[in-house]
Amino acid sequence: MINEILILLAKVIIIILIPLGVLPLIIHVERRGAAFIQKRVGPNRVGPFGLLQPLADVVKFMFKEEVAPSHVRPFFYKLAPIFAVMVALMPLASIPLCAPFIIGGETIFPESFRSSMGIFYVFAAASLGSYAILIAGWASNNKFSMLGAIRASAQMVSYELSMSITLVAMFFLYGTNDLHQMVAYQNETILGFLPRWGFFYQPIATVIFLVGIFAESNRLPFDLAEGESELVAGYHVEYSSMKFALFFMAEYIHMIVLSAVFIILFFGGYNLLPGMSLLENMIPLPILQTASLIIKVGLMIWLFVWVRWSLPRLRYDQLMDLGWKRLLPLGIINLIITVAFIYFQK
Amino acid sequence: MNLLPVILFVVIGFLLGIGLLTVSVLLGKKPKTVREHDIYESGVNPVGSATRRYDVKFYLTAVLFLLFDVEVVFLFPWALTYQESSMKGLMIAEFVFFMFIFIVGYLFVLFSKSLDWED
Repeated sequence: MINEILILLAKVIIIILIPLGVLPLIIHVERRGAAFIQKRVGPNRVGPFGLLQPLADVVKFMFKEEVAPSHVRPFFYKLAPIFAVMVALMPLASIPLCAPFIIGGETIFPESFRSSMGIFYVFAAASLGSYAILIAGWASNNKFSMLGAIRASAQMVSYELSMSITLVAMFFLYGTNDLHQMVAYQNETILGFLPRWGFFYQPIATVIFLVGIFAESNRLPFDLAEGESELVAGYHVEYSSMKFALFFMAEYIHMIVLSAVFIILFFGGYNLLPGMSLLENMIPLPILQTASLIIKVGLMIWLFVWVRWSLPRLRYDQLMDLGWKRLLPLGIINLIITVAFIYFQK
Repeated sequence: MNLLPVILFVVIGFLLGIGLLTVSVLLGKKPKTVREHDIYESGVNPVGSATRRYDVKFYLTAVLFLLFDVEVVFLFPWALTYQESSMKGLMIAEFVFFMFIFIVGYLFVLFSKSLDWED
């Protein structure tokens, strides 16, 4: 009993510390990446290569003036950033970092919340993020916040639909909703050299899902909720100091979680990258698998940065058109083709 | 007991949020001027109230999402049981029938211009 609780605590702490630990690094990569794409220098003064800049920022956020404007609805205004971080951490409970492994005759599952409904739990918890934005926008009692929040909720809801449809196609292909089994399915190779990733079977679903996670995490080109040119900062106009930092944190954790789900569904999850199996004798397999997943998520984060500084923001009607008139029909067609293909294959 | 990890995550997230906010309240400067308490509106005096009317299309989008999402949710158990089922033909027939309803509904929404945002 005590053993079980200790193992659970260890799992929870590891899965929470990894995203929180790489968060400063991600923010640094984002800023240096932006500078690189725009031919600037970027933050390079604090520490080697400016690596300590995020820490300096945290200290700055702590010592900032703590303003709670008088026109806001105080309880919900304070609740929103806390809620944002809370629901951003929640889906981490069901993300598998590595395959189940055996220590002392006992099989240990890497995810702390082990359930047959794991992936549904991840999606349910991830979509709670839109409530944080809604609460923030409404509680701020500001025109910009309100507009940003309404836009964000309509946008997140629209893209969730196409994502769910692609998820149906993926379930149909894998024949399971267990994340470990999905990853195991992708462990083999096709045509002798290609890894059997979901991407090679479902390229359309991959594209739809990728666009969906950009929209879900409110990143450019879908950051209509905080379009600077029209809404100043959208739902967090009235937030400053640590309260703003919490929203910032929540957005990045959200990105990490959705990238991890994307990798597990389409890019082989924690399966070892080519060449990594050479290290198998020196380093335990679970650690290698975790490293592999983290590297893949890191590449996804770079994609986020790359896209953010390359593509312009969509107009709102274009955004809704893309979600409802392009991605949704495309998802339906993709599902029908998948079903037909698997049915006639036999 | 099975839900203990989820409760643990909620508690940790909540404490993290509260903790960081408390640090900021304790360490941060106290606001000095009254103007800081004004509604932010690009530096000019606020015009009108924040709870103004907004386009009904947002509401319509939410309703349509509910409708379609429930339909998609019905597909999940179908997709998960397909490979174990012995009557594949019947399952496919069900799928065709269901998708027919789905697509007719979608086309109706599309042609009733509920999805058009530019006007």
